[in-house]
Amino acid sequence: MASRDEAPKLSSSVKLVLLGEAAVGKSSLVLRFVNDDFQENKEPTIGAAFLTQKCTLPTRTIKFEIWDTAGQERFASLAPMYYRNAQTALVVYDITKPTSLIKAKHWVSELQRQASPGIVIALVGNKLDLAAPVLADDDGGEEGGDAMNGGNRAVLTAEAKAYADEEGLLFYETSAKTGENVQGVFEAIANAIPESTLKPRAGAGGFAGGSGRAGAGSGGGDAGAAGMAVNLEDGVRAKEGCAC
Amino acid sequence: MFSSLLQKATAFITDVPPASPTSPTSSRPTKTTLFRNHFRLPDSQTPLQEITCELTLPSGDHYAGKLYLSESFLCFSPNPPSSSSTASATAGIGFTLPLCAIRRVERLHSRSYMFALAITTWHGVANSTSSPGGKEERVTLQFVGMRSSCEAFCDRLKRGLRSQMGEVKNLRILVDSCYSEYLLGNSGGYDGVKRTTDGAGADDSRKKDKDPPDAGLGMIFKYPGDTRKLRDRSKMRLWAEYLRANFGVENGRNVTLVRQPTFHKLIRVGLPNRLRGEMWELSSGSIYLRLFNPTMYRDILQEYDGRHSHSIEEIEKDLNRSLPEYRGFQDDEGISRLRRVLGAYSWRNEEVGYCQAMNIVTAALLIYMSEEQAFFLLSTLCDRLVPGYYSKTMYGTLLDQRVFESLVEKTMPILWEHLVKSDVQLSVVSLPWFLSLYINSMPLVFAFRVLDVFFLEGPKVLFQIGLAILRINGEELLDATDDGAFISILKSYFSRLDESAHPRSDNEKLRAVTRFQELMVVAFKEFAGITQNTIIEQRNKHKDAVLSSIESFAKRTQLRNLGPDSRRLTPEELSCTYDQYFGVLYERQGRLQMIADEMEKLATKKKAAAGSGVGGNGGERGRVGLGPTTGETGMDYDCFREFLTGVAKWAVADSVASTPAEPTQPEQSGFFGSYGGAAAAALQRKNLLNPWGAGNPEPADHEFMRRLFRRWDTDMKNQLSLGNVVSGLASVVGGKKDIMGNINYWFELYDDDGDGKVDREGILRITEALLFVTRRGDVGRSDGEEAEWGDERILSAVSGFTRMCFEYADPDRPKKEEGVIKVDKDEDEDDLLELAASSSDEDPLDTPETVSPGERSPTTPHPKDNAKANLALDPSNPLHITLPTFRMVILADEVLERFFERGFAESFKLIPGSEPQATAANPRLMARMPSTPLTPGNAKGLRGVLDGIVDEGMRVAAEVRRRMEEMEDNREEEGEEGEAADAKSIREGDRDLLKGAEADIQEGQGQTDGLHIEKGGGSKGEGRGRSVSYGDQISSRVVEFES
Repeated sequence: MASRDEAPKLSSSVKLVLLGEAAVGKSSLVLRFVNDDFQENKEPTIGAAFLTQKCTLPTRTIKFEIWDTAGQERFASLAPMYYRNAQTALVVYDITKPTSLIKAKHWVSELQRQASPGIVIALVGNKLDLAAPVLADDDGGEEGGDAMNGGNRAVLTAEAKAYADEEGLLFYETSAKTGENVQGVFEAIANAIPESTLKPRAGAGGFAGGSGRAGAGSGGGDAGAAGMAVNLEDGVRAKEGCAC
Repeated sequence: MFSSLLQKATAFITDVPPASPTSPTSSRPTKTTLFRNHFRLPDSQTPLQEITCELTLPSGDHYAGKLYLSESFLCFSPNPPSSSSTASATAGIGFTLPLCAIRRVERLHSRSYMFALAITTWHGVANSTSSPGGKEERVTLQFVGMRSSCEAFCDRLKRGLRSQMGEVKNLRILVDSCYSEYLLGNSGGYDGVKRTTDGAGADDSRKKDKDPPDAGLGMIFKYPGDTRKLRDRSKMRLWAEYLRANFGVENGRNVTLVRQPTFHKLIRVGLPNRLRGEMWELSSGSIYLRLFNPTMYRDILQEYDGRHSHSIEEIEKDLNRSLPEYRGFQDDEGISRLRRVLGAYSWRNEEVGYCQAMNIVTAALLIYMSEEQAFFLLSTLCDRLVPGYYSKTMYGTLLDQRVFESLVEKTMPILWEHLVKSDVQLSVVSLPWFLSLYINSMPLVFAFRVLDVFFLEGPKVLFQIGLAILRINGEELLDATDDGAFISILKSYFSRLDESAHPRSDNEKLRAVTRFQELMVVAFKEFAGITQNTIIEQRNKHKDAVLSSIESFAKRTQLRNLGPDSRRLTPEELSCTYDQYFGVLYERQGRLQMIADEMEKLATKKKAAAGSGVGGNGGERGRVGLGPTTGETGMDYDCFREFLTGVAKWAVADSVASTPAEPTQPEQSGFFGSYGGAAAAALQRKNLLNPWGAGNPEPADHEFMRRLFRRWDTDMKNQLSLGNVVSGLASVVGGKKDIMGNINYWFELYDDDGDGKVDREGILRITEALLFVTRRGDVGRSDGEEAEWGDERILSAVSGFTRMCFEYADPDRPKKEEGVIKVDKDEDEDDLLELAASSSDEDPLDTPETVSPGERSPTTPHPKDNAKANLALDPSNPLHITLPTFRMVILADEVLERFFERGFAESFKLIPGSEPQATAANPRLMARMPSTPLTPGNAKGLRGVLDGIVDEGMRVAAEVRRRMEEMEDNREEEGEEGEAADAKSIREGDRDLLKGAEADIQEGQGQTDGLHIEKGGGSKGEGRGRSVSYGDQISSRVVEFES
């Protein structure tokens, strides 16, 4: 997507935040991505957990600084603290729980209005392992198919995909348990980050201060424009008319 | 009786703000709350007596201080309870003695001029029979003060002791569950002989071989950490020694424990495993809740067994992931205990319910204490120690983060500057520390050491530890430039707490000091200046900002997620609706709760029950940021009424000084079946307590409002959510103002069974509603013509409406029914032609003659046309109007048309202050109708009249006209007082108008109506096409009939 041939391999760090209803598997996704591990009983996240992981792309290396947030509803008011200055976000829902998709949609609109402009958002349906036979997925998404072979699936792929397209989000279905698609999500995100929002790692003095820190500062405007471009590539960004 | 109670209640409320000093919202804690917190007493306790006195322990130690007496406790402290003392009483010397644990009080005569008491406690008695010398262990209290005050104190004490006799049985249960009892009982010294005077000898002999009391999961699954390394045995020995002292029970134990400096030191070095739970509940005071509520925990479990709630669901999700590294929580036993404790608390305090992190804290407690102990300790924790931490909005957590930041700024300015410069948000790191009380930040063994001190000294400990962590790691942190580096430094610090703090030191002793010990020293020495008072001050300082930011976040989120209906209101309207909704809801909840609390308190005060006081004391209410007061998050009908007063003037009751009971006379609720007497009674009860709050406008209560409520309550929960209210408002106010839509809306509002018909009763109710909504005369006026839009025109329009409705109503005739009863309204229009025709040919002539202009009395109607009266007026013939008829009737009148087109929608003012001219106009109009306003009460009067003469539909018009006449009279009187000319001109204008109306009708043909409608329609843009067509239909119908 955004490859720059002449540049040497760049290394930059990217702030990523995970949002979504409680127990949809946010922490498990991170654990799979960072340690390639899975724990059946993961302690609930209090406030947020912080982890880092590198992601190597053909043209650059991206170091993800991952903020894994608490999912319980009442922690929502803490979220701005964590998505502040985030360049990317993973909004996770549980494909076996339709309410978790509603919550995910709320998060998406929160991010679109409150987070850094141009934030790259990926919608992720987790617990794919609980859906039935993998192949039928897309057909199942059409009509009536889900009753046949949906397993515990309660959110159709097509439905979530349509929403993601409409809002210009990346979209994946994953399983933190089996590891399916987990790496893919993070790579896709890494690819989708516009170059202009990347700050060099261990940034020297003034420059880094300018882009990353002040949020809405000089770097911000830049990022906004670039973010728009990316979003346009992924789909038309539908502007819901809403109150705030 | 009630009113005096109410007075007392309100006086009580204003005198004593019901907030604890730890509550972030009380600016200055009251003496009572200071007292309670100082001695860790339940909320039921108040200081009744105090006196300066000197305490002499059996060992001979003397302490000067003050003795306090509350309903159920005798307390001693050398320093007075104040928020500025560095530590609470439990940290120093003293005792908190439940009166039921006092066995004997003797007046000492040794020095006759001195006033002294010798107190023998529960354990003292036991000892007296078993200790070597048979010597009774007594605590001597020598009073210093006027003889009279000494005697007053003693008198009160005597009464207190007597009233607490009944609690002795609870004490016995409690004491048996205390590990200290078992410890001392088993290891000699005290062998439990004759523990009680009731001679429970069998009990005593069992004592030795009895299983030890439950001291937590640790007894089954081992306590965390290496007991040898923790030096658990020596700690236990030291405690046994302290509790037993040199001879017997000098310091008492559990509830009779006397705190001396050693007590404090013993806690600082860490509690031994088996005593930990008991000491936690003793130093936090939760033991007293357990003492007075011996069955509460089991009762709750029993009562809510098998019940489901959102909290229960959330708890289930987390049970398997609470301290999963501890073996006890990989086991069903541990998990079930956790489930029960968290569940019971969520039921006990639904306001908090369940918050993640509570599972971790509770799990930690359960390692050291029984379920019941953990339940009460959790209550004390959530309600008093860290209020608001786990609440729905978590304002306590956020507030303390702000406080922590400000303390860092104050104590470590360089580090703070660095944080700001590198844009590291401190709370990102520190929030989990506070929320989980360091339990999931530090290795468990150390976290428990922090907890030991935390329960003893209170929430300031969390801050001291946090500051010390930053101070110790300061150097390294100054090198960190982002959150990531910051976090990893601290992570590695926590993982090495057991290592030596000075590994390279030559001094062996210094090398032996662990990093954790260093942390404790820094926390409590270097930050000794951080007192409870510091925290309270800082909390007060930041409270508003924190609450506001929570509120704006909540508002933003909620408004955004309201769904499509919300888009029909402007952002500003939505914002104001939100404010109004929650303003009313929370303010009202808080008000009612407070009244209820106080009533209850007053009612039970005499019993001086030390009980309850667990949970629910919440402190301040009434702010969105503080979360809902009760579990309820919707508006009931009364609350809705209150809401409406804020957005629509007609919802305000007319008479300001009306007695509270007025708007809820039983008949009134009676006539609207589904709201039976129960509702009325409930309303009345509430009214006694003036639920509208001082200074608020009192809401009217009209059937129309009930209908709106029911209509908006789309979820049928008898409660309106914000979403319901926004959708409801959107349907009447929002979007393009569509006259047809509004007419349909009203019709549906009165079409109870949804069959597309409104019956005679419904027509009359619509009439009432129209009068009710327009009674201020300020509805339906368009901007330039307020004078022109007086009440008279509305009244005449409404009267015309009623008349027309009856004229064009369709009888419920079975033979026609196949044709008529169609829900599809478009099809109805054809049928209407035939049906309405039957009536339209006869009654137009009747109308004007029914009541002659001069006639005043509604009780003497002209019967002359009755014979001719059409079926519509015969009560034995049910009739109805259909939507098309209703539309036609509305569109036939300019005033009504305008009302439905704009007036009704405009009567809602969602944005306060946006319509200054409305308030200006209102008093004038009100003044014009002083004695006979169409108040709800009067509207009901009107209603009564209507009921009486329902067989004569015309009488509605008569009644309305009568009122108009009356008003004219009033005006004439006013006129005589000086505004004659004005009044007269208006009156004459009315006359003309009336005459005109009469003339119109007198001409008596459908075509007149058609003409009328055409005229009305002609002036409007959109509605015209349809209204004309109605006119056409009517005429064609008439023609058809005639032909």
